[in-house]
Amino acid sequence: MDPILSEVYSTVLPAAPYVLAAYVGILLVLFAFVFSLWRKSKRTEADIDALRRALEERERNAGK
Amino acid sequence: MMREKLADRLVPALLAIGAVLTAIDVVWAFTVAPLVQGARLSEPAIIAGQVVTTKLLFSQKIFYLHVPVAVASFATMTAAAFFAARFLITRDRAHDRASRTAMQVTLVFIIATMVSGDLWTRFEWGVWWVWEPRLTTYFILMLLVIGYFILRNALDDPERSARFGAVFCIIAFIDAPISFLITRLVPSSVHPVVFRTDSGLPPAMLIPFLLGLFGMCMIAFGLYRYALRVNTAADEVEELKERLEELDASAQRAAADEALERLQARAAALVTPGSAVPVALDPSASDPATSAASPVPDDGVDVSYDAPVSNDAVAVGPATRPAVAFTGDAPLAPSKED
Repeated sequence: MDPILSEVYSTVLPAAPYVLAAYVGILLVLFAFVFSLWRKSKRTEADIDALRRALEERERNAGK
Repeated sequence: MMREKLADRLVPALLAIGAVLTAIDVVWAFTVAPLVQGARLSEPAIIAGQVVTTKLLFSQKIFYLHVPVAVASFATMTAAAFFAARFLITRDRAHDRASRTAMQVTLVFIIATMVSGDLWTRFEWGVWWVWEPRLTTYFILMLLVIGYFILRNALDDPERSARFGAVFCIIAFIDAPISFLITRLVPSSVHPVVFRTDSGLPPAMLIPFLLGLFGMCMIAFGLYRYALRVNTAADEVEELKERLEELDASAQRAAADEALERLQARAAALVTPGSAVPVALDPSASDPATSAASPVPDDGVDVSYDAPVSNDAVAVGPATRPAVAFTGDAPLAPSKED
Protein backbone atom coordinates (compact mmCIF):
# COMPACT_ATOMS: atom_id res chain seq x y z
CA MET A 1 0.00 0.00 0.00
CA ASP A 2 1.10 3.54 -0.71
CA PRO A 3 2.81 4.88 2.42
CA ILE A 4 0.88 8.15 2.16
CA LEU A 5 -2.42 6.31 1.90
CA SER A 6 -1.39 4.16 4.86
CA GLU A 7 -0.82 7.33 6.84
CA VAL A 8 -4.17 8.80 5.71
CA TYR A 9 -6.07 5.73 6.87
CA SER A 10 -3.78 4.93 9.81
CA THR A 11 -6.48 5.60 12.44
CA VAL A 12 -9.34 3.87 10.66
CA LEU A 13 -8.64 0.23 11.43
CA PRO A 14 -7.42 0.72 15.01
CA ALA A 15 -10.56 2.80 15.76
CA ALA A 16 -12.95 0.25 14.25
CA PRO A 17 -13.26 -2.01 17.34
CA TYR A 18 -13.99 1.00 19.57
CA VAL A 19 -16.58 2.43 17.20
CA LEU A 20 -18.21 -0.96 16.82
CA ALA A 21 -18.15 -1.50 20.59
CA ALA A 22 -19.74 1.92 21.13
CA TYR A 23 -22.64 1.14 18.78
CA VAL A 24 -23.09 -2.35 20.19
CA GLY A 25 -22.84 -0.99 23.73
CA ILE A 26 -25.62 1.53 23.16
CA LEU A 27 -27.87 -1.08 21.59
CA LEU A 28 -27.08 -3.59 24.35
CA VAL A 29 -27.99 -1.12 27.08
CA LEU A 30 -31.30 -0.35 25.35
CA PHE A 31 -32.07 -4.02 24.74
CA ALA A 32 -31.21 -4.87 28.35
CA PHE A 33 -33.69 -2.24 29.51
CA VAL A 34 -36.40 -3.52 27.17
CA PHE A 35 -35.73 -7.08 28.33
CA SER A 36 -35.95 -6.10 32.00
CA LEU A 37 -39.22 -4.28 31.31
CA TRP A 38 -40.58 -7.29 29.46
CA ARG A 39 -39.69 -9.61 32.36
CA LYS A 40 -41.16 -7.25 34.91
CA SER A 41 -44.29 -6.96 32.79
CA LYS A 42 -44.74 -10.75 32.66
CA ARG A 43 -44.18 -11.11 36.40
CA THR A 44 -46.56 -8.26 37.17
CA GLU A 45 -49.30 -9.66 34.96
CA ALA A 46 -49.09 -13.01 36.75
CA ASP A 47 -49.14 -11.25 40.14
CA ILE A 48 -52.16 -9.16 39.21
CA ASP A 49 -54.10 -12.23 38.07
CA ALA A 50 -53.29 -14.15 41.26
CA LEU A 51 -54.04 -11.20 43.53
CA ARG A 52 -57.32 -10.41 41.77
CA ARG A 53 -58.43 -14.01 42.19
CA ALA A 54 -57.45 -14.00 45.86
CA LEU A 55 -59.21 -10.70 46.43
CA GLU A 56 -62.41 -11.86 44.75
CA GLU A 57 -62.35 -15.02 46.85
CA ARG A 58 -61.86 -13.06 50.06
CA GLU A 59 -64.62 -10.62 49.18
CA ARG A 60 -66.95 -13.50 48.31
CA ASN A 61 -66.18 -15.18 51.63
CA ALA A 62 -66.65 -11.92 53.49
CA GLY A 63 -70.05 -11.45 51.84
CA LYS A 64 -71.33 -14.82 53.04
CA MET B 1 -57.49 9.31 29.48
CA MET B 2 -58.12 9.21 25.73
CA ARG B 3 -54.76 10.88 25.18
CA GLU B 4 -53.08 8.24 27.33
CA LYS B 5 -54.68 5.43 25.36
CA LEU B 6 -53.70 7.04 22.07
CA ALA B 7 -50.11 7.39 23.29
CA ASP B 8 -50.07 3.72 24.32
CA ARG B 9 -51.40 2.69 20.92
CA LEU B 10 -48.67 4.74 19.25
CA VAL B 11 -45.88 3.07 21.22
CA PRO B 12 -45.20 0.15 18.84
CA ALA B 13 -45.34 2.46 15.81
CA LEU B 14 -43.04 5.00 17.46
CA LEU B 15 -40.55 2.31 18.46
CA ALA B 16 -40.61 0.87 14.95
CA ILE B 17 -40.18 4.27 13.24
CA GLY B 18 -37.47 5.21 15.73
CA ALA B 19 -35.63 1.95 15.08
CA VAL B 20 -35.87 2.46 11.30
CA LEU B 21 -34.60 6.05 11.51
CA THR B 22 -31.72 4.96 13.75
CA ALA B 23 -30.87 2.12 11.38
CA ILE B 24 -30.80 4.58 8.44
CA ASP B 25 -28.60 6.86 10.54
CA VAL B 26 -26.13 4.04 11.25
CA VAL B 27 -26.00 2.80 7.65
CA TRP B 28 -25.65 6.36 6.31
CA ALA B 29 -22.94 7.17 8.85
CA PHE B 30 -20.80 4.25 7.68
CA THR B 31 -21.42 4.60 3.94
CA VAL B 32 -22.31 8.08 2.70
CA ALA B 33 -21.06 10.33 5.53
CA PRO B 34 -17.48 11.39 4.90
CA LEU B 35 -14.66 10.78 7.35
CA VAL B 36 -13.61 13.91 9.22
CA GLN B 37 -10.09 15.22 9.08
CA GLY B 38 -7.59 14.65 11.83
CA ALA B 39 -3.87 15.34 12.21
CA ARG B 40 -1.90 16.88 9.33
CA LEU B 41 -0.08 14.52 6.95
CA SER B 42 3.65 14.70 6.34
CA GLU B 43 2.84 15.51 2.70
CA PRO B 44 -0.49 16.01 0.80
CA ALA B 45 -2.02 13.08 -1.07
CA ILE B 46 -4.56 12.94 -3.87
CA ILE B 47 -7.41 10.49 -3.26
CA ALA B 48 -10.22 10.19 -5.84
CA GLY B 49 -9.17 13.48 -7.38
CA GLN B 50 -9.27 15.30 -4.00
CA VAL B 51 -6.24 16.74 -2.28
CA VAL B 52 -6.01 15.26 1.22
CA THR B 53 -3.74 16.99 3.70
CA THR B 54 -4.84 15.33 6.96
CA LYS B 55 -5.45 11.88 8.40
CA LEU B 56 -9.03 10.65 8.32
CA LEU B 57 -10.71 9.94 11.63
CA PHE B 58 -12.97 6.91 11.86
CA SER B 59 -13.60 7.29 15.59
CA GLN B 60 -15.81 10.34 14.88
CA LYS B 61 -18.47 7.91 13.62
CA ILE B 62 -19.46 7.45 17.26
CA PHE B 63 -20.93 10.95 17.07
CA TYR B 64 -23.90 9.79 14.95
CA LEU B 65 -25.37 7.71 17.77
CA HIS B 66 -23.62 9.07 20.85
CA VAL B 67 -25.06 12.59 20.54
CA PRO B 68 -28.67 11.52 19.79
CA VAL B 69 -28.61 9.22 22.84
CA ALA B 70 -27.23 12.04 25.01
CA VAL B 71 -29.91 14.46 23.74
CA ALA B 72 -32.59 11.83 24.46
CA SER B 73 -31.27 11.58 28.04
CA PHE B 74 -31.66 15.37 28.45
CA ALA B 75 -35.17 15.20 27.00
CA THR B 76 -36.30 12.44 29.36
CA MET B 77 -34.70 14.24 32.31
CA THR B 78 -36.69 17.35 31.40
CA ALA B 79 -39.87 15.26 31.31
CA ALA B 80 -39.01 13.76 34.71
CA ALA B 81 -38.57 17.22 36.26
CA PHE B 82 -41.80 18.44 34.62
CA PHE B 83 -43.81 15.56 36.09
CA ALA B 84 -42.08 15.97 39.46
CA ALA B 85 -43.18 19.61 39.55
CA ARG B 86 -46.72 18.62 38.56
CA PHE B 87 -46.76 16.03 41.33
CA LEU B 88 -45.73 18.61 43.91
CA ILE B 89 -48.48 20.94 42.68
CA THR B 90 -51.31 18.43 42.33
CA ARG B 91 -50.20 15.57 44.66
CA ASP B 92 -51.48 13.22 41.98
CA ARG B 93 -49.57 9.93 42.29
CA ALA B 94 -49.86 9.36 38.54
CA HIS B 95 -47.46 12.28 38.00
CA ASP B 96 -45.03 10.81 40.50
CA ARG B 97 -45.14 7.52 38.61
CA ALA B 98 -44.52 9.35 35.32
CA SER B 99 -41.57 11.23 36.85
CA ARG B 100 -40.08 8.03 38.30
CA THR B 101 -40.45 6.26 34.96
CA ALA B 102 -38.85 9.13 33.06
CA MET B 103 -35.93 9.00 35.51
CA GLN B 104 -35.50 5.27 34.79
CA VAL B 105 -35.34 5.96 31.05
CA THR B 106 -32.97 8.87 31.72
CA LEU B 107 -30.60 6.58 33.60
CA VAL B 108 -30.63 4.05 30.76
CA PHE B 109 -29.77 6.72 28.18
CA ILE B 110 -27.11 8.25 30.42
CA ILE B 111 -25.43 4.85 30.76
CA ALA B 112 -25.58 4.34 26.98
CA THR B 113 -24.03 7.80 26.45
CA MET B 114 -21.31 7.09 28.99
CA VAL B 115 -20.43 3.74 27.38
CA SER B 116 -20.05 5.19 23.88
CA GLY B 117 -18.29 8.34 25.06
CA ASP B 118 -15.79 6.43 27.16
CA LEU B 119 -14.89 4.18 24.24
CA TRP B 120 -14.15 7.27 22.14
CA THR B 121 -12.06 8.76 24.96
CA ARG B 122 -10.14 5.50 25.36
CA PHE B 123 -9.23 5.36 21.67
CA GLU B 124 -8.47 9.05 21.09
CA TRP B 125 -6.69 9.86 24.33
CA GLY B 126 -5.65 6.45 25.57
CA VAL B 127 -7.47 6.92 28.89
CA TRP B 128 -10.90 5.95 30.12
CA TRP B 129 -11.72 9.20 31.83
CA VAL B 130 -10.79 12.88 31.72
CA TRP B 131 -12.17 15.57 33.99
CA GLU B 132 -13.29 17.69 31.07
CA PRO B 133 -16.22 20.11 31.75
CA ARG B 134 -18.88 18.25 29.72
CA LEU B 135 -17.80 14.84 31.03
CA THR B 136 -17.69 16.08 34.61
CA THR B 137 -21.12 17.74 34.57
CA TYR B 138 -22.63 14.72 32.81
CA PHE B 139 -21.01 12.39 35.33
CA ILE B 140 -22.55 14.48 38.13
CA LEU B 141 -25.91 14.15 36.38
CA MET B 142 -25.53 10.38 36.33
CA LEU B 143 -24.68 10.33 40.04
CA LEU B 144 -27.69 12.51 40.80
CA VAL B 145 -30.01 10.17 38.89
CA ILE B 146 -28.56 7.16 40.73
CA GLY B 147 -28.92 9.09 43.99
CA TYR B 148 -32.59 9.69 43.16
CA PHE B 149 -33.27 5.95 43.11
CA ILE B 150 -31.21 5.35 46.26
CA LEU B 151 -33.23 8.05 48.03
CA ARG B 152 -36.54 6.60 46.90
CA ASN B 153 -35.61 3.08 47.93
CA ALA B 154 -34.41 4.29 51.33
CA LEU B 155 -37.84 5.69 52.23
CA ASP B 156 -40.52 3.19 53.17
CA ASP B 157 -43.44 5.57 53.28
CA PRO B 158 -44.68 5.94 49.67
CA GLU B 159 -45.93 9.47 50.25
CA ARG B 160 -42.60 10.69 51.63
CA SER B 161 -40.70 8.77 48.97
CA ALA B 162 -42.72 10.48 46.24
CA ARG B 163 -42.43 13.95 47.78
CA PHE B 164 -38.70 13.76 48.51
CA GLY B 165 -38.07 12.12 45.14
CA ALA B 166 -39.89 14.90 43.30
CA VAL B 167 -37.90 17.60 45.08
CA PHE B 168 -34.64 15.74 44.46
CA CYS B 169 -35.54 15.24 40.79
CA ILE B 170 -36.09 18.98 40.29
CA ILE B 171 -32.79 19.78 42.01
CA ALA B 172 -30.98 17.16 39.91
CA PHE B 173 -32.50 18.62 36.76
CA ILE B 174 -30.59 21.87 37.35
CA ASP B 175 -27.48 20.00 36.21
CA ALA B 176 -29.01 19.02 32.85
CA PRO B 177 -29.02 22.49 31.21
CA ILE B 178 -25.63 23.17 32.79
CA SER B 179 -24.25 20.01 31.20
CA PHE B 180 -25.94 20.81 27.89
CA LEU B 181 -24.66 24.40 27.75
CA ILE B 182 -21.24 23.80 29.26
CA THR B 183 -19.63 23.65 25.81
CA ARG B 184 -20.77 27.24 25.31
CA LEU B 185 -19.93 28.40 28.83
CA VAL B 186 -16.53 26.67 28.97
CA PRO B 187 -15.37 26.06 25.38
CA SER B 188 -13.61 22.74 25.04
CA SER B 189 -11.92 21.21 22.05
CA VAL B 190 -13.39 17.80 22.82
CA HIS B 191 -17.09 18.60 22.66
CA PRO B 192 -17.93 21.03 19.87
CA VAL B 193 -21.11 23.11 20.01
CA VAL B 194 -23.31 20.96 17.79
CA PHE B 195 -26.63 22.78 18.12
CA ARG B 196 -26.11 26.09 16.37
CA THR B 197 -27.41 27.63 13.18
CA ASP B 198 -24.07 27.16 11.39
CA SER B 199 -23.13 23.72 12.70
CA GLY B 200 -20.58 23.37 9.91
CA LEU B 201 -21.86 19.90 9.11
CA PRO B 202 -22.30 19.17 5.40
CA PRO B 203 -25.68 17.65 4.45
CA ALA B 204 -24.09 14.21 4.14
CA MET B 205 -23.30 14.39 7.88
CA LEU B 206 -26.18 16.54 9.11
CA ILE B 207 -28.98 14.39 7.62
CA PRO B 208 -27.95 11.11 9.28
CA PHE B 209 -27.34 12.94 12.52
CA LEU B 210 -30.84 14.45 12.47
CA LEU B 211 -32.36 11.09 11.52
CA GLY B 212 -30.58 9.51 14.48
CA LEU B 213 -31.70 12.34 16.74
CA PHE B 214 -35.37 12.00 15.86
CA GLY B 215 -35.13 8.21 15.87
CA MET B 216 -33.57 8.10 19.33
CA CYS B 217 -36.11 10.59 20.73
CA MET B 218 -38.92 8.40 19.39
CA ILE B 219 -37.31 5.32 20.94
CA ALA B 220 -36.96 7.18 24.23
CA PHE B 221 -40.63 8.18 24.19
CA GLY B 222 -41.71 4.65 23.23
CA LEU B 223 -39.62 3.15 26.03
CA TYR B 224 -40.99 5.69 28.47
CA ARG B 225 -44.58 4.77 27.60
CA TYR B 226 -43.84 1.06 27.83
CA ALA B 227 -42.05 1.48 31.16
CA LEU B 228 -44.93 3.62 32.42
CA ARG B 229 -47.40 0.87 31.58
CA VAL B 230 -45.28 -1.70 33.41
CA ASN B 231 -44.83 0.58 36.43
CA THR B 232 -48.57 1.29 36.54
CA ALA B 233 -49.21 -2.46 36.64
CA ALA B 234 -46.55 -2.88 39.37
CA ASP B 235 -48.24 -0.15 41.43
CA GLU B 236 -51.54 -1.95 40.94
CA VAL B 237 -49.95 -5.12 42.36
CA GLU B 238 -48.90 -3.19 45.47
CA GLU B 239 -52.39 -1.75 45.81
CA LEU B 240 -54.01 -5.18 45.50
CA LYS B 241 -51.60 -6.57 48.10
CA GLU B 242 -52.55 -3.79 50.50
CA ARG B 243 -56.26 -4.44 49.96
CA LEU B 244 -55.73 -8.14 50.60
CA GLU B 245 -53.83 -7.40 53.79
CA GLU B 246 -56.62 -5.08 54.91
CA LEU B 247 -59.22 -7.74 54.19
CA ASP B 248 -57.23 -10.34 56.11
CA ALA B 249 -56.73 -7.99 59.03
CA SER B 250 -60.44 -7.11 59.21
CA ALA B 251 -61.34 -10.82 59.01
CA GLN B 252 -58.97 -11.53 61.90
CA ARG B 253 -60.46 -8.67 63.90
CA ALA B 254 -63.98 -9.97 63.25
CA ALA B 255 -62.95 -13.48 64.38
CA ALA B 256 -61.36 -12.08 67.53
CA ASP B 257 -64.47 -9.99 68.29
CA GLU B 258 -66.66 -13.04 67.76
CA ALA B 259 -64.52 -15.11 70.12
CA LEU B 260 -64.68 -12.37 72.73
CA GLU B 261 -68.46 -12.15 72.43
CA ARG B 262 -68.73 -15.93 72.87
CA LEU B 263 -66.56 -15.73 75.93
CA GLN B 264 -68.57 -12.90 77.41
CA ALA B 265 -71.83 -14.75 76.70
CA ARG B 266 -70.53 -17.81 78.54
CA ALA B 267 -69.34 -15.71 81.39
CA ALA B 268 -72.71 -14.03 81.61
CA ALA B 269 -74.36 -17.47 81.65
CA LEU B 270 -72.14 -18.49 84.52
CA VAL B 271 -73.21 -15.61 86.75
CA THR B 272 -76.89 -16.44 86.39
CA PRO B 273 -78.41 -18.59 89.23
CA GLY B 274 -78.05 -22.28 88.76
CA SER B 275 -75.21 -21.95 86.36
CA ALA B 276 -71.46 -22.12 86.79
CA VAL B 277 -69.05 -19.89 88.66
CA PRO B 278 -69.18 -16.14 88.15
CA VAL B 279 -66.15 -15.07 86.28
CA ALA B 280 -64.88 -11.60 86.75
CA LEU B 281 -65.49 -10.40 83.27
CA ASP B 282 -67.87 -7.90 84.77
CA PRO B 283 -66.57 -5.82 87.70
CA SER B 284 -69.78 -6.53 89.60
CA ALA B 285 -68.90 -10.21 89.57
CA SER B 286 -66.16 -9.62 92.10
CA ASP B 287 -68.47 -7.66 94.37
CA PRO B 288 -68.88 -9.70 97.58
CA ALA B 289 -72.54 -8.75 97.85
CA THR B 290 -73.29 -9.97 94.39
CA SER B 291 -71.13 -12.98 94.70
CA ALA B 292 -72.72 -13.97 98.01
CA ALA B 293 -76.06 -14.16 96.26
CA SER B 294 -74.63 -16.46 93.71
CA PRO B 295 -74.47 -20.07 94.76
CA VAL B 296 -71.20 -21.61 93.84
CA PRO B 297 -71.35 -25.18 92.71
CA ASP B 298 -68.53 -27.54 93.45
CA ASP B 299 -68.30 -28.91 90.00
CA GLY B 300 -65.64 -26.44 88.94
CA VAL B 301 -65.59 -24.06 86.11
CA ASP B 302 -65.59 -24.62 82.43
CA VAL B 303 -64.56 -21.47 80.70
CA SER B 304 -63.28 -22.22 77.31
CA TYR B 305 -60.81 -19.76 75.96
CA ASP B 306 -57.90 -20.05 73.62
CA ALA B 307 -55.45 -18.65 76.13
CA PRO B 308 -53.43 -21.28 77.98
CA VAL B 309 -54.48 -21.99 81.54
CA SER B 310 -51.72 -22.65 83.98
CA ASN B 311 -51.79 -24.08 87.48
CA ASP B 312 -50.04 -21.12 89.04
CA ALA B 313 -52.37 -18.58 87.58
CA VAL B 314 -53.96 -15.70 89.42
CA ALA B 315 -57.05 -16.60 91.44
CA VAL B 316 -60.14 -14.57 90.75
CA GLY B 317 -63.00 -14.13 93.21
CA PRO B 318 -63.45 -15.06 96.91
CA ALA B 319 -61.78 -18.03 98.53
CA THR B 320 -65.08 -19.95 98.53
CA ARG B 321 -65.05 -20.04 94.78
CA PRO B 322 -62.75 -22.17 92.78
CA ALA B 323 -59.94 -20.28 91.20
CA VAL B 324 -60.41 -19.43 87.58
CA ALA B 325 -57.21 -18.77 85.80
CA PHE B 326 -56.52 -16.68 82.77
CA THR B 327 -53.03 -16.17 81.61
CA GLY B 328 -53.78 -14.89 78.16
CA ASP B 329 -54.14 -11.29 77.12
CA ALA B 330 -57.90 -11.41 77.38
CA PRO B 331 -59.53 -8.14 78.49
CA LEU B 332 -60.61 -9.47 81.85
CA ALA B 333 -61.53 -7.28 84.75
CA PRO B 334 -58.74 -6.85 87.30
CA SER B 335 -58.75 -9.45 90.05
CA LYS B 336 -59.62 -8.27 93.49
CA GLU B 337 -58.87 -10.03 96.70
CA ASP B 338 -61.98 -10.12 98.98
